[in-house]
Amino acid sequence: MRKQARRQGRLWSIVMTIISVIYMYPIFMVLMNSLKVESAISTGTAFDLPTEETFAGLANYENAIGTQGFLASLFYTVFITVTSVCAILIFCSMFAWYITRVHTKVTKALYLLCAFSMVVPFQMVMFTLSSMADTLKLNTPWVLWVIYLGFGAGLAVFMFCGFMKSVPVDIEEASMIDGCNPLQTYFHIVLPLLRPTMISVAILEAMWIWNDYLLPTLILDINKYRTISMLIQFFRGSYGRVEMGPMMACIMLAILPIIIIYLIGQKYIIKGVVAGAVKG
Amino acid sequence: MAEVSLKNVEKVYPNTEKKKHGSKSNLKVTEEGVLAVQDFNLDIKDREFIVLVGPSGCGKSTTLRMVAGLEEISRGEIYIGDKLVNDIPPKDRDIAMVFQSYALYPHMTVRGNMEFPLKLHKVPKEEIKKRVEQAAEILGITEYLDRKPKALSGGQRQRVAIGRAIVREPKVLLMDEPLSNLDAKLRNQMRAEIIKLRQRINTTFIYVTHDQTEAMTLGDRIVVMKDGVIQQVGTPQEVFDHPRNQFVAGFIGVPQMNFYDAELIRRPDGVYIVDVNGFRVELSEEKQKNLREQGVEPQQVTLGIRPEHVELAPKQSAGLKGRIEVAEMMGSAVHLHVNACGKEGIIIVQTVDLPGIELSELSIGNEISFIFSGKLVHLFGKDGHNLEF
Repeated sequence: MRKQARRQGRLWSIVMTIISVIYMYPIFMVLMNSLKVESAISTGTAFDLPTEETFAGLANYENAIGTQGFLASLFYTVFITVTSVCAILIFCSMFAWYITRVHTKVTKALYLLCAFSMVVPFQMVMFTLSSMADTLKLNTPWVLWVIYLGFGAGLAVFMFCGFMKSVPVDIEEASMIDGCNPLQTYFHIVLPLLRPTMISVAILEAMWIWNDYLLPTLILDINKYRTISMLIQFFRGSYGRVEMGPMMACIMLAILPIIIIYLIGQKYIIKGVVAGAVKG
Repeated sequence: MAEVSLKNVEKVYPNTEKKKHGSKSNLKVTEEGVLAVQDFNLDIKDREFIVLVGPSGCGKSTTLRMVAGLEEISRGEIYIGDKLVNDIPPKDRDIAMVFQSYALYPHMTVRGNMEFPLKLHKVPKEEIKKRVEQAAEILGITEYLDRKPKALSGGQRQRVAIGRAIVREPKVLLMDEPLSNLDAKLRNQMRAEIIKLRQRINTTFIYVTHDQTEAMTLGDRIVVMKDGVIQQVGTPQEVFDHPRNQFVAGFIGVPQMNFYDAELIRRPDGVYIVDVNGFRVELSEEKQKNLREQGVEPQQVTLGIRPEHVELAPKQSAGLKGRIEVAEMMGSAVHLHVNACGKEGIIIVQTVDLPGIELSELSIGNEISFIFSGKLVHLFGKDGHNLEF
C-alpha cells in the first residue's frame, strides 16, 4: 500500500512539475526577451536564449522607463489600485457585516445580487458603463475607484460574508454591552477579526485591478492618463512596428510588484477563501 | 447596585420565525407570532441573586437578553433602578453580561479585554489599571493578564469574562449559562467561585441556567420557567419543599421526584388519606389544613415523593411493592430504579442503615417494598397544580 502511495505521489509530482513549467515558461520567455537587443526578437528567434551578441543588458528597461512616461503610469496604476482596494475593503466589509447580521428579505436579496454580479461578464456591461462613466465624470484616475468598487464588491462581499458567518455574534453583543455604538463595534471588534480575510481580499482585488486593461482603456482618456497595462500597448508604433524589447521590459516591470505582494500574502489567500467553509 | 423590575413583559417572535421556535417547545402561538415570554412579572431587589431556571427553549435567556437590551421587548416595561429602560441601548443601561461562549475579544490580551469597557467609558488610566488588577486578583488571573484568550483554558476564559464584567462595577450583572461550557469538575469549582465573588462585590445578579443544582446553590430566589411562563418564584428551599405544580416538582431536585397515580380520600371525620395502589398514607396536619382551606374534594391525584424521602420497608410489612430494574451504587447510597404501580421511580437508600435488609438483596430483579411519610408527599390535581395552593 505504502509503495503504491509513494509511486502515486511521485507521479503527481511529475505531472505538477510539467504543469508549472508550462505556466512559468511564458514569463521566462518575456524575461529572456527583455534582456535581448531589438533585432534578436523576431518570430524565428524569440525562443533563443540571449547570446553575447544579442544580450542587451538593462538597456530595454532604461528605454521602457525613460521614453513613454512609465513613472506617470506607475503612479496612476498605484493610485487607482490603492484607492480601489481601500474602498472595496472598507465598504464591502461593512456591508457584509450588515447583511450577515440583519436578516431581512432586503439583505437576502442584496447578498444574492452580489453573488450574481460575480457571474456577469464585464463585456456585457462595458459599453453602457463607459458612456455612464463619461456622463458622471468618473473618467479620471482620481475617481475610478468608484467603478472598481462596483465590480470588486461581488467577490469581496461573498468572501467577507463567508467569514462573518463564522464569527460568533456574542462577541459583538458583548461589545455593545461594554459600551460600543455600532461604528465602534465595527472598528474595535469586527475589523480586527476580519484581518485575515481583509488581506486575502486585498491581494485578490489588487492583482486584478493592477493588471486590468480593458476597463481603464474604455473609461480613461488614453492621451491623458495611462495605466501600466495601457502603456504596454504604446510600444506598438505605427505601421505595425512594435518595440519588442522595451515592451517586454515593461511587462516584467508591471508584473514584478504584484508577484512580490502575492508571494508575501499567499498564505492569507488560502485562509481567507476557505474561511467560514467549516465550523472552527 | 439597583433594583430590577419587569412588569408584564412579553416577547413575540413574528410568524416568520415560527418554525424555528415552534419546533423547540410548546410555546404559545398567536396571530402575531410565537410568544417566547408571556406576562413576565418580577421584582428583583437590590443586591439580590436571582436565578432564572428552566429547560431549553423556556424563554429564560430571552428574558435576560431583554433586560440586557439585546432583544426588543414586545410588550411590558423593564426598570433598572427607577429608570424605564425599554428603549435605552445596552451600552447605556449600566449592566454587564457574561456569556455562555465567554465572548472574549480574541485579538486582545486578557488585560485588553478587561480594560476595554472602562476605556469606552473614559475611566482615567490609573483607575483602569487599579480596577483591572483588583479584578484579576479576585479571580486569580493576574499571571495571565498578558496572554491572548486562545492561550487560556475554558475555566480561565470564563474567569476573564467574569473579570471583564465586574471591572465595570455595573448596576446589574447578567450571566447567561456561564458554566455550561465547562466540564463537571470545573463547573463545581466555578460555582463556588461565583458564590465567593458574590460576597465580595455589591451588585444585583441575574443568572440564567438550565441546571437546577446551580439554581439551588447560587440563588437567593429562583424563578422556574416553562414555555415562556413563570411557574414559580421563591427561595430554593421554598421551591424544593412546596412546588406549585408538577412541572416544578419534577424539574427541581436530583434525582427527579417520583410520581404515582393515587386517590385522595376523605374519611367521615374529615381526615384526608391518600391511597396508592392499596397502600394508604394519612397526610400530615399541615397538609390536612392546607387541603381543607382550599376545599379540596376527594379525587384522582398524582402523588409526588422525592427519592430521598422514600424508605425501604422491612420484609413482609405494608408498603408499595416494586421490582428493582437498575441499582446504581454511589458509595454512601444506592439509587434503585424501581418499577412500582406500572411506573419507574427512584429510591435513594443509604447503605449505612439498611432496615433489616442485606445490601445483596438490593439487586436487579428483586422485589422490595417501600413506604413514605404523609408529611413529605405532594399532591397534584389533573391539571398538574399542587392541591395545597
